[in-house]
Amino acid sequence: MALRLLTDRDRKKNIDDNELNLIAQLSSISKKFKSAKTESIKDINLEIYQGDFLSIIGPSGCGKTSILKIMCGLLRPSSGKINWPTSNFQNSPENPANLSFVFQEPNLLPWINVYENIKLPLKVLGESGYKADEKIYDVINLVGLKGFENYYPRQLSGGMSMRVSIARALVTQPKVLLMDEPFSALDETRRYGLAQEILKIKKEKKLTVVYVTHSIYESVLLSNRIYVMQANPGKIFEEFDFSNQNKSKDYRFTSQFIEQAKIVTNSLERSQLVK
Amino acid sequence: MLSKRTHSTLSAVVIFILWEASFHLFDMKWYLLPPPSMIFNSMLDNAYLLFSSLATTLRIAFTALILSIIISFSLAIIFYLSKFAERSIMPITVTLQVTPIIAIAPLISIWVNSSELATLVCAFLVAFFPLLANTMSGLKSTEKNHLELVQLYGANKYQVLRYVVIPSALPFFLSGLKVSSGLALIGAVVGEFVIGPISGHSGLAYRIIESGYQLDIPKMFASVFLISISGILLFNLIKLISFIVLRKWHSSFQQLD
Repeated sequence: MALRLLTDRDRKKNIDDNELNLIAQLSSISKKFKSAKTESIKDINLEIYQGDFLSIIGPSGCGKTSILKIMCGLLRPSSGKINWPTSNFQNSPENPANLSFVFQEPNLLPWINVYENIKLPLKVLGESGYKADEKIYDVINLVGLKGFENYYPRQLSGGMSMRVSIARALVTQPKVLLMDEPFSALDETRRYGLAQEILKIKKEKKLTVVYVTHSIYESVLLSNRIYVMQANPGKIFEEFDFSNQNKSKDYRFTSQFIEQAKIVTNSLERSQLVK
Repeated sequence: MLSKRTHSTLSAVVIFILWEASFHLFDMKWYLLPPPSMIFNSMLDNAYLLFSSLATTLRIAFTALILSIIISFSLAIIFYLSKFAERSIMPITVTLQVTPIIAIAPLISIWVNSSELATLVCAFLVAFFPLLANTMSGLKSTEKNHLELVQLYGANKYQVLRYVVIPSALPFFLSGLKVSSGLALIGAVVGEFVIGPISGHSGLAYRIIESGYQLDIPKMFASVFLISISGILLFNLIKLISFIVLRKWHSSFQQLD
């Protein structure tokens, strides 16, 4: 069968098989915010492999964003830990940029222009000079922002701002890109266009992407693996592996796509029935 | 439609014309309310006296404003970095702010020998608080997402301040500056009223008192006018600075280009 549910044993076997390719393993991560009575995420187990396009899908408030923020060190988990077997994928002082984060909103600094916004991570990391310039123009070309360097954020459309945000995340040449519902503010066609570009960039830059979304369409279209989450407390409900699919340009019109979308939809609906 | 500026200028001109006309029509007493022409003449007759007094008052106001900028900004940064410092020093600044300057001024004139310095202290005390309060709320209003953005790359405290916190406080700082610039002028005048004429060359406040003694009402009006006009100019100067600094990015200037 082209798709399968992973059992615990499968998962273990996978890790053994792909030990070299495993780049992150979250083990029983929980997070309880001070203001909340119960955990917002509980007992999250999740693996990321080299080259994955991994989607985390679930209802609003199930803690998808918290998982991403824990991964990049913006949030501290209440319990559990993350393993980074191939070492320096973590945001450590020595290697702070191997993970990058694309926020839900473009999150650009309004007081500096596009060029300076993209440069910001390099400035924080203390990189400057022509090498930094080279990196900046590389990503500007990559995301199609040429000619917009001197624009200020408020002169840009939503889609353009998102491109700047993606360029800024890519400028540090990360190995893992964490994306938090990056296109939720865009209209359908633009979302599709940008999503395709993300796939292209991922291939070109050999990225591993962790993608948080509540769009079934996007998750099935883009990812090889999908984690479905349930809410209250946020938990992994089911996990799907669609790795064997050849995701060509017209994939979204195939019966396979629809079949997979059905499976994910069904899973999401069941996850909401669970108490 | 009239532009905003033409509209304000025109309405001022109309008021002056009505004022002048009613003076002649209703046979008003010049020593109670002199007409604008008489005030203007008095301004010309006493030009040297009045403008050198204006220079003194403006010098004090500007110095107070610059001191306020430096001290409020530094204090705001210190308070931002240290809750301890904020809790220890903030009550003092609030106390200074809520106590009327007229009540403290006599004390200041006892402590400080030079009348110019004493007036400067008064002007500073009046001007610095709005700037401090505004800058502080500016520093605290940084968007959480912007903070996370730089934290993601391991920014240290200094980098966070420089790249995110201070720029986002800038609009607040500038609107505080608008209030403080007016207050610095008010402080310079009120201070001189209470403390007495500034040695060397007295300021406009003393010209007002002096005109009162001499019953020279047109000169009194001329002094008041000079204070108001310089206040308006000062306010517009700060507005212009805000415009230059913020026009590219801040939403308050979005409609202007």
